[in-house]
Amino acid sequence: MSSYESHRGLRWIAGTAALFVGAGLLLPFAGPAPLDLSRVWSRAAPDWPILIHLRLSRTLLGLFGGGALGLAGSLFQTMLRDTLATPYTLGVSTGASLGAVVAIALNWHAGSVWGVWAGALAGAALVLLVVSGAASWRREASAVTLLLAGVAMNSVCSALILLVLGLSGVSQTFSIARWLIGSLDAIAYVPLAAFMAIVSGCAVMIVGRAREWNLLSLGEAWAGTRGTDVPRLLRFGYLGGSVMAALTVAVTGPIGFIGLMVPHLIRVRVTADDRVVMPCAFFLGGALLASCDALGRVLLAPAEIPAGAITACVGGPYLVWLVRQRT
Amino acid sequence: MTPILSARGLAWRVAARRGTPGTTIVEGVSFDLHAGEFVALMGRNGAGKSTVMDLLAGLRRPHEGAVRLDGRSLQDWTAPARARRIAHLPQAVRGASPMTAAEIVMMGRYAHAGGWRPSVADRAAVAHAMHECGCARYRDRPLLTLSGGERQRVLLAACIAQEPAVLLLDEPSTFLDVDQQLQTFALLRDTVARGGACIAVTHDINLALTFCSRVIVLAERSIARDMDARTAAADDGWLGAFSPRLRRIAVSEGQSWVAYR
Repeated sequence: MSSYESHRGLRWIAGTAALFVGAGLLLPFAGPAPLDLSRVWSRAAPDWPILIHLRLSRTLLGLFGGGALGLAGSLFQTMLRDTLATPYTLGVSTGASLGAVVAIALNWHAGSVWGVWAGALAGAALVLLVVSGAASWRREASAVTLLLAGVAMNSVCSALILLVLGLSGVSQTFSIARWLIGSLDAIAYVPLAAFMAIVSGCAVMIVGRAREWNLLSLGEAWAGTRGTDVPRLLRFGYLGGSVMAALTVAVTGPIGFIGLMVPHLIRVRVTADDRVVMPCAFFLGGALLASCDALGRVLLAPAEIPAGAITACVGGPYLVWLVRQRT
Repeated sequence: MTPILSARGLAWRVAARRGTPGTTIVEGVSFDLHAGEFVALMGRNGAGKSTVMDLLAGLRRPHEGAVRLDGRSLQDWTAPARARRIAHLPQAVRGASPMTAAEIVMMGRYAHAGGWRPSVADRAAVAHAMHECGCARYRDRPLLTLSGGERQRVLLAACIAQEPAVLLLDEPSTFLDVDQQLQTFALLRDTVARGGACIAVTHDINLALTFCSRVIVLAERSIARDMDARTAAADDGWLGAFSPRLRRIAVSEGQSWVAYR
C-alpha cells in the first residue's frame, strides 16, 4: 500500500495544513508589546494597527516565504537527485543576494525597500538567464548541466558579494551583513499580496506535477520512458523553483535551513512520495519560518533576533539528530 | 503487415571535442520489429546495444535515420502516448530510492492514469505485474533495501505494468539468479505470445537461443547478423563474434547448447 493510498500521507498533508493556518491565526499575537484583545476587537489604536499592519503582514510573509523555501528545497532535491540541494543550490538566490547587496552598497535602500527588491530581482533574473542558457548549450537540458552551471554561478556571485562588501563603507557593511542573515519585516500589503499570489501560483503548478517528480527520482532515462518529457520538466522545475526562491530571498534575505531541513524531516518521518512531501514541505516550511520569526520577536524583546539566525540554530542540530536517527 | 517499430539507417555519434575526433557508435542500423517477435539483441561490450535501445525508446535522437512507431516517426509522438506503446528498462537506474517496490511499479502506470489516485485498472495491473515478476512478497519494502536481483524484478514489473506493445529491456537478466533468469525470459516469451513484441539485450547466448524468436548481433558499429533463433541454433559462424572459445553442441532435434572451452 503506498503511503498516499494508506491515508497516512493525507493525514500529514491535513495536519501540516492545519499547522500553517493555526500559525497564521495565532502568531500575530506574539510580540514584544502585549496586545489587549478588547482593544483589538474594537479596532482601537495602537493594538489594531500593530496586529494588522505589523504582525499579520509579517506572519503572512513568513508563512509564504517559508513555504516557498520548503517547497523549492524539496523540488531541487528531487530534480537534482541530491540530498544536499537547497533553494540556493542553483545560483538564482545567490544572484538575488548579490543584487540586493549591490543595491544596499549604492544606498538604494535609503528611501524604501523597493530599491533592494529591484536589485535582488535583477540579480536573480541575470543568473536565471546565464544558467538556463548554459544548460541548453547542449542539445538537451539535464540535471547535471543545470547543477554545474548553478554551482558555478553560485561561487561567482558569492565572490562578488564579498568584493562589494569589501568596497563599501562601514554603515553599508553593517546593513549588508544584517541583510545576509535573513530576516522578516513588516511589509506593505500590495507587494505582500503580489508575493503571495506568485508563490501560491508556482506552488500549485509544481505540486501538481508531483507524479512526474516522483518518476525523476529514479533517473532521467526512467522518467523519460514512463511518459514524461524530461527536458521540458526540468526547465519548468528550474524556472518555478527559482522564481519562488528568488522572490523570497528578495524580500527576506537568504534564510537558511528551511529548504534543507523540512523536506528531509518529511522524507524520514512519512514518505519519499512527492505527492505528500511537496505539500507538507510547503505548509511545514511556512509554519516553521513564521514560528522562528515570532520566537525571535519575543526571546530577547525588545531586541529582535533575525529569523535566519534562529532557523540556522534550530535547524543545524535538528538535522544532525535526524540523520543519526535514520542510520 | 506493418511493423510495430521500424529502424532505418540509424546512426549515433559521440560528439567531437577539441583534439579528439568524434566516434561513431552505430551507423546504418535498420530492421523491423513485428508483433509476436522476441528479439535478443547481442554483441560485445561497446558494440552499441544500449545506444540502439535508447534510440528506439526515443531517449536519444539519431544523428541519421529515423525510428517509426506504428508507421509514425517517433518524434511526432507525445511522451505519454509513446509510453503507452513502448516501455524501456534502462541498464541502470538510481537505486537508492526510499520509495517502496509497489510505488515504483505504480510508476509504470503514469502514462495511463489520469489523476493522482490510482484507478482500479492501475491497481490490478500493478498487482498482476508484481505477481508475474515474483516481487509481490516485498511490495512494501523501500527500493534501497532490496538486493540487486530483487530491484531488477521490481523495475521489470513496472515495465510490465505499463502494458506496452513493445518492451525494450536493456539487460533484464542482470543480477537475477538462474531460476529467475529462466522465469523472466519465459514470462517475456509468454507476454509476447499474447501480442506485442520485445527486444532484450543479453549476453547469455543459451538464454537467447532457448527463449527468443530472433537474434540480432551488433558488431563493427552495425548489425552483423539478423537471423531467426532456429537458424542461429543451427549455425556456428556467428559465435566467433563473441569469443573464440565458444563451441556449439547439438543436444536434440533443432536444439543446441553453446559450451565454453
